[in-house]
Amino acid sequence: MERKYLYVDYLTCIGCETCQTVCDFIHDGNPYIRIYITENKQYLPINCKHCDDAPCIKVCPTQAIYRDEDGAVRIAEDRCIGCLACLQVCPYGVPFYSLKVKAVTKCDMCAERREEGMEPACALMCPAEAIQYGPLEIVMNLVRERRAKNIPEHQRELTEEELRKSISSGFKVF
Amino acid sequence: MRGMKFSFLCKKKPQPTGKRIAIVGAGPAGLTAAGYLVCRGHDVDIYDKMPEPGGLMLFVIPEFRIPVERVRLGAKELEEEFEVNYYPRTKVMEGERLDEGDEFYERVIRLSELKEKYDAVLIATGIWNVRRIGIPGDDLEGILSPLELLFWIKGNKLGYVPDEKVPDLRGKRVGIIGAGLTAVDVAFECNRLGAEVEIFYRRTIREAPAGAYEINILRNRGVKWFELVTPKSVIGENGRVKAIELLRTRLGEPDETGRRRPIPIPGSEFQVPVDYLVFAIGMVSTPPVNGSYLAVDRRGRLVVDERHMTSVEGIFAAGDVANGPTKVGRAIKDGLYTAVAIDKWLRGEL
Ligand SMILES: Cc1cc2nc3c(=O)[nH]c(=O)nc-3n(C[C@H](O)[C@H](O)[C@H](O)COP(=O)(O)OP(=O)(O)OC[C@H]3O[C@@H](n4cnc5c(N)ncnc54)[C@H](O)[C@@H]3O)c2cc1C
Ligand code: SF4
Ligand code: SF4
Repeated sequence: MERKYLYVDYLTCIGCETCQTVCDFIHDGNPYIRIYITENKQYLPINCKHCDDAPCIKVCPTQAIYRDEDGAVRIAEDRCIGCLACLQVCPYGVPFYSLKVKAVTKCDMCAERREEGMEPACALMCPAEAIQYGPLEIVMNLVRERRAKNIPEHQRELTEEELRKSISSGFKVF
Repeated sequence: MRGMKFSFLCKKKPQPTGKRIAIVGAGPAGLTAAGYLVCRGHDVDIYDKMPEPGGLMLFVIPEFRIPVERVRLGAKELEEEFEVNYYPRTKVMEGERLDEGDEFYERVIRLSELKEKYDAVLIATGIWNVRRIGIPGDDLEGILSPLELLFWIKGNKLGYVPDEKVPDLRGKRVGIIGAGLTAVDVAFECNRLGAEVEIFYRRTIREAPAGAYEINILRNRGVKWFELVTPKSVIGENGRVKAIELLRTRLGEPDETGRRRPIPIPGSEFQVPVDYLVFAIGMVSTPPVNGSYLAVDRRGRLVVDERHMTSVEGIFAAGDVANGPTKVGRAIKDGLYTAVAIDKWLRGEL
């Protein structure tokens, strides 16, 4: 099956908490995408990036971490011994040790939903369209398309002055 | 672009239960609740006073934060795939009250009438009134309501508001009081339309609810930021605003919100000339009742119990109308859990 990507774009994210909310809802109060608030009050949703060259997969001594057919980095809970080696090497601090499950848990790209033919809930519900899911080419295109909308100059009417300048410099203005 | 998938919990409508639910207010809380309820097999009708569903996401929050298409396609999917019926331009009200955005409705239905006609009612009408500041001169011409200004600007783009309603802000000095999500969005839009924008805030950037990150983006785009000042009065000329009189403040002990309280410094008055003023100092819940039909608290929010039910059996409430101003994600969360409660209640499990 074609490798899927789940990409959260921090330049278009508005920090509204919708992704965390729907993730929390489908995982009985344990969201796998969580908002962190930085010192200057930027809201950053953080989840597993399902890295291509995932250090967590390499470091796990029991091979409990594997990649599934859609490309999601998954944990075989029965094999996890709770050594937290994956947490040591994850640049995002994603792996979360659950005392209840007695294993590391983390975003599995909505594995259960994918089995039923549905997509990750955060990507479906993000109002800002900051989360994209799908094959790499499509995700990249959607991100570029969405980013372009936020370039302030595209949203502003040109002043007479700017209009004159741009014409005299040979640029065409629409 | 694809729409928000409010029905993210199912692929298609299951076996119908025959139960009918009316939702009042098509913002994120109402639409997400609708998505859950149709996935549980119920029939949903949505009433909203605006010309199309989406709430603040569609009519107020700027396009660069939430694209219009994203919301529109999402609402449309509920209609086309899940047989949700929309009743736009329909204000639901028990009693009477003037709210922001009222110029768009064409019909009024009483809440008690919906209660009669449906098996359950969900109220998700948000915070559609702006808090007044109550200082001398605050009713002069040139003082704009932040909500009104934002939906003139966005409504104009959507084709609902004629050009002449949108003030020509090019080269105009716009003063904004407040530093929440509303204040920064007004600042963004006015700056984009070519105004000289200045924000006045009574605390410092560290306490600003919109956060230093957002405010610094604005400053990089030329918006002036003036902290530790509080408005004392609005100065007018021939009935039109001419300047704002401000007092400097200093920060005292922390208040109940944990932020240090601003204390005005007597004798520190000074004036700043402005052409327009926007007081973005807070919004008030607007339940579709005025009077004793449903219980509201001191701040006008609908009172709900742990079942998300109001004081009338069978009428539920979710989102900002019950919680006061929050965020899209919080409204969605409340919409989801309220929908769970409605479903259980309809099945006799609650
Ligand atoms: C300027 C501004 C900027 C914001 N920016 C952000 C942001 O960047 N990120 C974020 O997460 N949150 C933001 N918020 C907050 C967010 O918009 C709200 O928390 C959220 O929309 C609340 O959802 P809701 O469904 O409860 O109500 P709303 O979205 O307000 O929807 C209520 C609906 O009810 C309808 N209605 C009201 N009264 C009646 C009536 N009597 N009869 C029929 N219909 C009625 C309205 O037309 C509306 O469609 C912002 C808010 C404002 C005002
Ligand atoms: S739902 Fe989208 S915009 Fe909201 S916090 Fe998550 S990624 Fe950001
Ligand atoms: S757990 Fe961390 S290292 Fe492993 S795939 Fe996810 S983000 Fe990458």
